[in-house]
Amino acid sequence: MPTVDIDGDEASDGLFALVIAVVEILVDALEREAIRRMESESLTDAEIERLGSHLAELEAEIDRLKEEVGVGDDVDRLRGDLDGLVSDALLDLDDSRPGVDSR
Amino acid sequence: MSAPTADPGTSVSDGRYVYCVVAVEEDESDERDDWSEPNGVDGAEAYLVTSDGVGAVVHRCERTPNPADLSSVKRSLLRHQHVVDAAGEAFGTPLPFRFGTVVEGGDEAVERWLTETADTQRKHLDALSGKWEYRIEVGWDEDALAETVESNDDRLRELAEKLEDSSEGTSYLLQKQYDKRLSDLVYGEREARVSDLVERLDPLIDRMEELGRPSVSLEDDQGSDRQSDDGPTLRVAVFAPKQNEIPIGDVLDDVEADPETTAVQYTGPWPPYTFAPSLGDEGNGNGESTESNADTTDVGPGAGGA
Repeated sequence: MPTVDIDGDEASDGLFALVIAVVEILVDALEREAIRRMESESLTDAEIERLGSHLAELEAEIDRLKEEVGVGDDVDRLRGDLDGLVSDALLDLDDSRPGVDSR
Repeated sequence: MSAPTADPGTSVSDGRYVYCVVAVEEDESDERDDWSEPNGVDGAEAYLVTSDGVGAVVHRCERTPNPADLSSVKRSLLRHQHVVDAAGEAFGTPLPFRFGTVVEGGDEAVERWLTETADTQRKHLDALSGKWEYRIEVGWDEDALAETVESNDDRLRELAEKLEDSSEGTSYLLQKQYDKRLSDLVYGEREARVSDLVERLDPLIDRMEELGRPSVSLEDDQGSDRQSDDGPTLRVAVFAPKQNEIPIGDVLDDVEADPETTAVQYTGPWPPYTFAPSLGDEGNGNGESTESNADTTDVGPGAGGA
């Protein structure tokens, strides 16, 4: 089971990387929802344009912050760890069906 | 039915390191009495102890291997594999033992154990007879898969056209939409290729096991680095009759001819490391069964080729 290590060189860097990782995941979720709504044609062209501009600005701002504090690699690593945690959790769920011993 | 084995890294009295069990016909007595393999683990000579039509390949030892000493374990694993291969060549598909299995009490103890378990051993050996393990690894180039998908999907073409004449905010979302569809399609394309390959192999093989990433590399100490630059791959062990070795190779040749395939590795025949029943696992849990787990180490591909 992978663990999430937030000890960067500096504790504050580690925490910052964690915050950025969480914000990135939120933005990804927002983008997916925006695309879903685009595909189901529930947004006007003007709404699409406005939403797209906001999300683009958010992404640019996150990239700028990562660059400035130098935590890009830490963020990628954290998100990789989180992927591992989620995969393991899903496997555990799969294993814990009734009548089957969980690993 | 586990053999009474000794703890790893300890001294044993009149120990016998066990490599594998093989089937020996009664009328092969000359052949089996003469058989030996000089280049075993720790340079020891491996020979055969037989009883009731089954034989254990062993060597005399005074200590059990210490699994904590990784560099010597790696060396010993290759020797272990070498002896199991030689025994397989002489007596047909062997039932390989976990690396580091040592029985105390000399040839008599091994013989006694063989006599007690001969029926089960024969049953396992009969089931394995004439069949071998093969390792297959197929890699695909993600960029090439993406190109194929892009040229075949109308929706992607449509999105690309819209992208060209849309304003900044819209094009940002359209690009995301494009990327997501592309990655879903590439994933689907890879899955389709894997299931197509599995379907074609199915009539040629008995069993298939998906393999994880190699946990230990025998060539260097950086096995884990191999994960980073890999595209989508299929790594499996299959258990197949010897006569299907070439037909399987033909299927893989077809796959290799696809422009999106980066690499095909096909190795074997190996002893059934993945498919043999684990004899030690049936122990009674009171410490008798203390073999190292090193047999799960990937000693197959890389140590030879087909």
